Amino acid sequence: MKKILSRRHFLNLVGAAGGSTAVYKTSVALGLMQDTGAVAQLDLQKVGGTKKKIAILGAGMAGLTVAYELERAGYDVTVIEASKRLGGRILTVRHGDVIDEMGYPQVCNFDDDPDMYFDCGPARIPGHHRRAMRYCKLLDVPLRVRANFSRPAYTHDEEHFEGKPVRLAQYIADARGFMSELLHKAVDKNVFDQPFSAEDQERMLRFATAYGDLDPNGIYKGTIRGGYKSGGFIAPAEHHEPMDFSALLNSRFWERGMASSENPDWGEPLMEVKGGMDGIIKGLVRNISSPIHTNAQVQSIQLQEDGVDVVFHHKGERKKLSVDYCFNNIPTHFMSGIPNNLPEEYKKGLASLVPGNYFKIGFQMSKRFWEREGIYGGITYTNQRINQIWYPGHGIHSKKGVVLGTYAFRGQSNFFERMSPEKRLKYAADCGDKIHPGYSSYIEAGVSVPWGRMDHMMGCGANWSSEVREKYFKMLQQPAGGRHYMIGDQISYHSSWIEGALGSVEVALMDLDERVRADSAVSGKG
Amino acid sequence: MQNRHRFSLLAATLFCMNVGHVVADDDLPVPADELVYCSTCHGAQLMGNAVLKAPRLSGMEAWYIEQQMQSFKKGWRGTHEDDLIGMEMQPMAAVLSDGQISQSAEYVSMTRSELPPITVSGDAAKGRAIYPACGACHGRSGEGVAAVGGPELTASDDWYLVTQLEKFKDGSLGSQPGDTYGTQMRVAAQVLTDEEAIMDVVSYISTLRK
Repeated sequence: MKKILSRRHFLNLVGAAGGSTAVYKTSVALGLMQDTGAVAQLDLQKVGGTKKKIAILGAGMAGLTVAYELERAGYDVTVIEASKRLGGRILTVRHGDVIDEMGYPQVCNFDDDPDMYFDCGPARIPGHHRRAMRYCKLLDVPLRVRANFSRPAYTHDEEHFEGKPVRLAQYIADARGFMSELLHKAVDKNVFDQPFSAEDQERMLRFATAYGDLDPNGIYKGTIRGGYKSGGFIAPAEHHEPMDFSALLNSRFWERGMASSENPDWGEPLMEVKGGMDGIIKGLVRNISSPIHTNAQVQSIQLQEDGVDVVFHHKGERKKLSVDYCFNNIPTHFMSGIPNNLPEEYKKGLASLVPGNYFKIGFQMSKRFWEREGIYGGITYTNQRINQIWYPGHGIHSKKGVVLGTYAFRGQSNFFERMSPEKRLKYAADCGDKIHPGYSSYIEAGVSVPWGRMDHMMGCGANWSSEVREKYFKMLQQPAGGRHYMIGDQISYHSSWIEGALGSVEVALMDLDERVRADSAVSGKG
Repeated sequence: MQNRHRFSLLAATLFCMNVGHVVADDDLPVPADELVYCSTCHGAQLMGNAVLKAPRLSGMEAWYIEQQMQSFKKGWRGTHEDDLIGMEMQPMAAVLSDGQISQSAEYVSMTRSELPPITVSGDAAKGRAIYPACGACHGRSGEGVAAVGGPELTASDDWYLVTQLEKFKDGSLGSQPGDTYGTQMRVAAQVLTDEEAIMDVVSYISTLRK
């Protein structure tokens, strides 16, 4: 009788031979595990006796995670960081912190209060970012749900609705109502060229009615989903009249933010770190005992036959570190300014990535004026250059709060970058006044963070064109010369997300583990 | 006593193991901590970074760097709305004191790196015919003439020479009142009738490399 090997049995055999790394890779190859599903538990072979040496260039999320994992597996790790601080773009600023923008260093002048902080980089973790969630759990990083999408917040358009903010609830309810009415009419008149059965047709009509809250005749006359105009508690509830449909279409919020919470990365519920996102960095650092050098700029990376030589500046000297493997978390756009002997194609790949860019402003407000408007967390969207206003979800009913006053992306960031910090804050304050009366009068302090001008950043992740992705991504996921790994959110499909950084780390460490296991199998040493 | 000595030796050894060995085989300058901002964009030893459009500065004349840093500080450079890269640099110089500018110029003049690759492919023979107009201020061999404020050209990135000539030609550089050297160069750049002429003369300059 022919015995057929079950997939589970096969994986058990693979596991016995190559450890969990091999199981993971084989599972992916067999289509049994998805990138976004359960996360691989790194089970790195302990290297104890041989003490392989590792250099990690850049103490951002990816670099520090590699340090954390390899230190636990017995590697001899050194972290080299060019700037004064750890964490890369995971930056939370509080009272007295320096925002080291090139040419415009600022000091955060928020109150000396643990609730007054601003997350300048990543600020949200969706639950499906399994790696980020796993490390938060592992490192005891306290999380809380953040209100990212809030129906009482506004959509604002200078050219429509008389320039007045409109509650998201009202806009969305009307948009759905109008669309449902159209659908109802179309189905009712059977304009679709589909062979609908009478039952299908009936269901479609009921669907349209439920989706848009239409009246029994399939007409949209407004809905309580758009918020109470009056009453509802001690008097009869009244809802708003439907807005003008053409104004609703022309203001184009349906394009700017209406579906944002349907994107999985911004879908409810999202998490944030209590007290600031740098809690993740603190969690890593308190669990790392390997040396981490700050103010240490890398000057040269040279692949050798059996390792990598890294030259860096530290405390007024040029130092050389010879290691077995190098994990490079340096922004790819800096690599063209660091002498190296990496393969030509690899260099070309690195040089073809375009630095991303984001810009944020944080304001400390003397009063939580948004709460008087019934807003508790969430985001207001505007067609002004500030794009968004975020309200803090923590500290409800306390005296003050820090709001995000601008979130500009890519090319839009340049507009703000080219102003002095004072002018940026003034510009954003004026925009805020058009949404919340007296907005600027509540501003006590402000910080602006242009990632395209930040110390040792000069960008925010990497933009990959589809051609560059096709040509270079797989290559840059692999170690150059089997020794030099490029890591960070820049080497992922999720630039500017913690999950992207952690994904790159997983790929690199799995590869390293496989190589080290193969070596020890040959040499017979662990 | 001896034990303590042994211990400190051991500590020193461990220290070296951890932080890497001091490099003995080169004497390249290490900038003071406040000058690492230069190499963030301009690269190690200011070798240049084409991706960031930050030009090579290695070993440039201190007087020239000082003059240009002052130009940025005074807003002669990096304030024109079309000079986006110049605008990135301008605040970097504006924040420095005169003393810090001199210090940074001194550091720049000490840096060393290999000559950059040739990336511009114009007709050097045609460029040769244009170059004498440049030579008056930049020297017959592109070696620079300090007396008239003309820097050496042969150690620069060729792509950078192209972008600067374009800016002088369209007036986004050398148009600010008070910027004597810039104005001089803007007038001179009008000799270059078109983009091809710019490429040609830059390619000729590349042939003058030592």
